[in-house]
Amino acid sequence: MIADRIIEQGTLSTQDGRTAVEVRIPWYRALPGSCIAGAALTIDGVAAPEDSLRWTMNNRTFRFEELVDETGEWWYPLDSAILSGDLPVQDADGEHEVRVDLKLYIPYIITDHGVLHIEEHDTKTMKVASR
Amino acid sequence: MTSLGTPIQGVTLYSFTRAFHARQYDLDGLIRKVAAEGFGPGLEVIGFSSLRGFPDRIDDAFVGQFRDLVAEVDLVPTSLAVNVDTGIRRDRLMNHDELVEYMRKQIEVAARLGFPIARVQISLTPDAMESLLPVAEKYGVTLALEVHADQHGAHERVLALRDRYEKLDSPLLGFTADWGATVTGFAPSLLEAYRRRGASEDLLRQVVELWNGFYAEGPPNTQKVHGERFGAFIALAARNGRPDLGIDFGINGTGLFGPAPLDTWLEIMPWVRHVHGKFFGIDENGEEPSVPVRGLVRQLVENGYTGAISSEYEGWHWNNWQDPFDIIRAEQAVQRSAAADAGSAMITDAAEARRILSSHLAQPVRG
Repeated sequence: MIADRIIEQGTLSTQDGRTAVEVRIPWYRALPGSCIAGAALTIDGVAAPEDSLRWTMNNRTFRFEELVDETGEWWYPLDSAILSGDLPVQDADGEHEVRVDLKLYIPYIITDHGVLHIEEHDTKTMKVASR
Repeated sequence: MTSLGTPIQGVTLYSFTRAFHARQYDLDGLIRKVAAEGFGPGLEVIGFSSLRGFPDRIDDAFVGQFRDLVAEVDLVPTSLAVNVDTGIRRDRLMNHDELVEYMRKQIEVAARLGFPIARVQISLTPDAMESLLPVAEKYGVTLALEVHADQHGAHERVLALRDRYEKLDSPLLGFTADWGATVTGFAPSLLEAYRRRGASEDLLRQVVELWNGFYAEGPPNTQKVHGERFGAFIALAARNGRPDLGIDFGINGTGLFGPAPLDTWLEIMPWVRHVHGKFFGIDENGEEPSVPVRGLVRQLVENGYTGAISSEYEGWHWNNWQDPFDIIRAEQAVQRSAAADAGSAMITDAAEARRILSSHLAQPVRG
């Protein structure tokens, strides 16, 4: 597990009340959308509303409920996905604490309790990237 | 009398996950680095790690580039590690027909890229392996099911597979023996990682004692015993005020450090087509402190093994303070020394490796 790699430093962006950050898979191999079971995006202790969260990979944007059946698009280990949500960032010039939580299913490990899932999180401090 | 084996030296790119994931090397660069370091001639790749678009979007241009690169740097493709993603859907596990097709697509890519072996995984039942035999025959790819902790060579699930192999009598069905099933100690480099996360010496002593107790009892032969051991690590962490470390102790203590005796491999040795030289670190004396590399190499040599050993460094999960390339270099030196001590040698020449591998395996791959 390489959870400290989840958030890409320097990728925080915000526009019109929506905020986004680039994220890397904390795992050694690609997983399809159906194994990306959930995420949370928190800036300075404030979490984006769950229903506002969107996941962008391979140039396609999904709601999390749309990822459930998505076995055609894969999150490759070298590619950044983008996690975004409704979350205004007040001070565009200051440092912000960014936290991302991720829940992933590991589809080849079947335990007595079902398909193994892992929950990982990462926190990094950064400024809003200039555009 | 069995003539002495000459295992082929090699490496899996999985060993360098931390560097690859950090984008320090792309696939082309990493393969060139492996060749330049002399970590081959054997080359193993995990499809879902190293190949973007695997397995549905691997086009002929990529296949050609991959084959040209491997030829240019004079490596020998040994195994493409493929995955049995039975749990890919959220509503149910894959059915039998879906599973066969899912595996077929990956095995086809193995053949196209020139890998004579596809490493498959334990969730394939004897029936599933039997269903996949025509796929193996179609592509000329040997299916080598990985025996990995918490299973081992004498585990009931593994013996059921072996018995079916014996009945089917095909040279295309076999095993990948992962050395993590026969570990002799809790890896010191992982203890160091816990120390760096603030674990007390007293807690670390208890972790080692718990694992040593399981080692003394022998490996789990059922899923129930495995579950109980997992739970014991979680309880230990909680009792010591570090519940945050419990799952980590359990996953590593049961899933990476398998406590089976070396002789469990003899149950399946005639069907071992490939080996994962799983290890976790190298100590100040240049030895692997928790995996009996010397005994494992000797066992392979004495049993006439002529397939490849992919050095598989797993310490990257927790070890962010040592260079994986230095660690692989040191572990392969131990393997070569052990083969010499056993009166044989590891094969390090690519041409010789190709010749030996093609006689070790059943038939040429049909890419």
